[in-house]
Amino acid sequence: MSRIVVTGMGVISALGNSVNANHDALIKGTCCISSLELVKTKYAATLRFGEIKIENHQLKNNLSVNENNVTRTTLLALHAFNEAVADSRLSNVELASYDTALVAASTVGGMCLTDELYHDSNATTDGSPYLASYDCGFTALYLQHRYGIKGVVNSVNTACSSSANAIMFGARLIKNGFAKRAIVGGTDSLAKFTINGFNSLNILAPQNCRPFDKERNGLNLGEGAAFLVLEREEDVPSKKSYAVLTGYANANDAFHPSSLSENGEGPYLAMKESLRVAKLNPSQINFISTHGTGTENNDEVESRAMMRIFDSVPPFASTKSKIGHTLGAAAAIETVFSILALSNNEVYPSLNFTTPIESTGLKPVTAFHKHNIENVMANSFGFGGNCSSLVFSKN
Amino acid sequence: MYIHKSVCISPQHTFDKINLEDVVASAESKMTVIEPKYENIPLNILRRMGKAVRMGVGAAMPLVRDYPELNGIIIGTANGGMEDCIKFLYQVIKYDEGTLTPTNFVQSTNNAIAAQIGLSTHNNNYNITHVHRGLAFENSLLDAMMLLKENPNSTYLLGSVDEISSYNYNLEKLGGWYKKETITNSDLYKTNTEGSMAGEHASMFIVNNRKEGSSAKVKALKTLHTDNAEEVKAQLKIFLQNNLSANQQVDLFLTGEDGDSRHNHFYTSCEELFNERTAIARFKHLSGEHPTVVSFALWLSCFILSTQQVPSNIFKNTPDNYRDTKPINTILIYNNCKGLQHGFIWVEK
Repeated sequence: MSRIVVTGMGVISALGNSVNANHDALIKGTCCISSLELVKTKYAATLRFGEIKIENHQLKNNLSVNENNVTRTTLLALHAFNEAVADSRLSNVELASYDTALVAASTVGGMCLTDELYHDSNATTDGSPYLASYDCGFTALYLQHRYGIKGVVNSVNTACSSSANAIMFGARLIKNGFAKRAIVGGTDSLAKFTINGFNSLNILAPQNCRPFDKERNGLNLGEGAAFLVLEREEDVPSKKSYAVLTGYANANDAFHPSSLSENGEGPYLAMKESLRVAKLNPSQINFISTHGTGTENNDEVESRAMMRIFDSVPPFASTKSKIGHTLGAAAAIETVFSILALSNNEVYPSLNFTTPIESTGLKPVTAFHKHNIENVMANSFGFGGNCSSLVFSKN
Repeated sequence: MYIHKSVCISPQHTFDKINLEDVVASAESKMTVIEPKYENIPLNILRRMGKAVRMGVGAAMPLVRDYPELNGIIIGTANGGMEDCIKFLYQVIKYDEGTLTPTNFVQSTNNAIAAQIGLSTHNNNYNITHVHRGLAFENSLLDAMMLLKENPNSTYLLGSVDEISSYNYNLEKLGGWYKKETITNSDLYKTNTEGSMAGEHASMFIVNNRKEGSSAKVKALKTLHTDNAEEVKAQLKIFLQNNLSANQQVDLFLTGEDGDSRHNHFYTSCEELFNERTAIARFKHLSGEHPTVVSFALWLSCFILSTQQVPSNIFKNTPDNYRDTKPINTILIYNNCKGLQHGFIWVEK
């Protein structure tokens, strides 16, 4: 069976607007959780967010976007998409060919324009320019149109695990012969809608989130986008490749619409199946990029599921302590970070951890260090019980 | 890939006793579904469900009952969950970001339907929601076809749901996608104006690789994005060449003609690829227009192939004796969404 390799990566998050900038910040252990400056909401000063401090008009300018219907969610995607494509040295002809696939994930989509959507959904005349920009399909449609992509184009929404499923779908398109290469990833931006939604569930932390800490009390929302270029190893013998996508799995917790089962059946099944696909034993995983949101429910359940699989839980950390929870972009961004860890033999720390959860005793990595990594696992779990795990391995 | 049982909740009599000859008329230029009693869903749970979730779970439950060991749930929807999204949005505005109830928020993501089916059936397996607007169902179908290549002995639930909600109805109306004038579905193809008619439906299919007992086989699928009708025609020609076996013909070319004058040329140019042995048929007077409407066409194709009953109202043009004498063995479905997203599905006996 052909191996699927990652030949290009692009990312924008609160940590920076390129893979290099994010990498530098990860090594330094920078935290970019802050008060809100660009989104208008009552909670701008009282809650903490992983906000990218670049305004939309600047993003549009940088990206040469002239259309008046492009939302922040799509601008972030375009930024990361361009970096990934350039990194993989895909030509415009390759990009537009019938065998290039695009799979984009989002769970907020154009709802970042909360007030405009409220206006348009009540209007009978005088619609805004964004009428067709609210749904989660808009970003992929915009990228498709901008670059004339002729292959399979898809949009996926499985809430917070969306972009893990986009990555998985792209890899499967290649393996099944429906594409020669796939550009896959996810994007989401901060929105009054999601801020109020998560707030109504009482799972937003008033201070910086503390993944896996006994005293954790919620998550910080963030924003960002990441894209990866996946290709078949034998098609690109002369290209640099960061990693091999060896394992992936999707399972459902089937317990509750917005919280995980006590035993973590969904997370357990996703991790277990991804190892089976990768043909690896649990002991061969050297690092886990956890979902680690910092909520009461997630971190304890994820810990328990890891303990069910791993006799000795490998080093793990949560990037959400630095950039917040970027929802539909989270798995793609965390994949880029995991691949950086793998290819540089580095472990990036989780921040704000002091005391382990009593029932598990698990401690995340809290200091940057060099550590040999052959295989890395990245977890993401979403509302609706949608759980996915990915495994990347050295070439 | 073989389709076994299927269920459809639509504006027509497709759920209990199927009757496609007596076409249910649209009201106020909308085609809304005839909702069943949902006897498979406990009342306390039913009351909390938004319409899209209700339609999706309601269509899935009769199938799931007979297949308790499903290996996955694959749903396509463009607008699923959006009614709850708007309800929550109203709360945000009305209460000025105050203390809000989370129920609508939790149900506001597109994956609420697939998640609720998973939850209702205690299914821990593959669960995904494809949301690529006018190709959300085609991509779900592609996912199912890939899964069955990867796991040949598996059985999946595949389906789609889209509803007419205040959200998408107003947005689409403002965008010029529904006709300005009032019409009924019987006149959908007779106008020469821009826009179509709003519709909604949910359909669910049990799919696996077992031929025995199946109602239809999905042989191939192709999707593309373009606004060029000549390119669509050229791609359809390649699709036909790739899939037409010796001594085989397309018996029915089932198109998504939707009464929008901007889209007619896509369909008429594709019709030119067929000779008089192929009947041309349409289905949107039965379903109305919505992003995942093509799964209604797939359900209709399964019905026609398995019963050999062809509703007389679907024909656009056909040889006089077509219906009486000719078996339907092969159906080619072509639909496009807003003249940009195109899909071909090959279905046969």
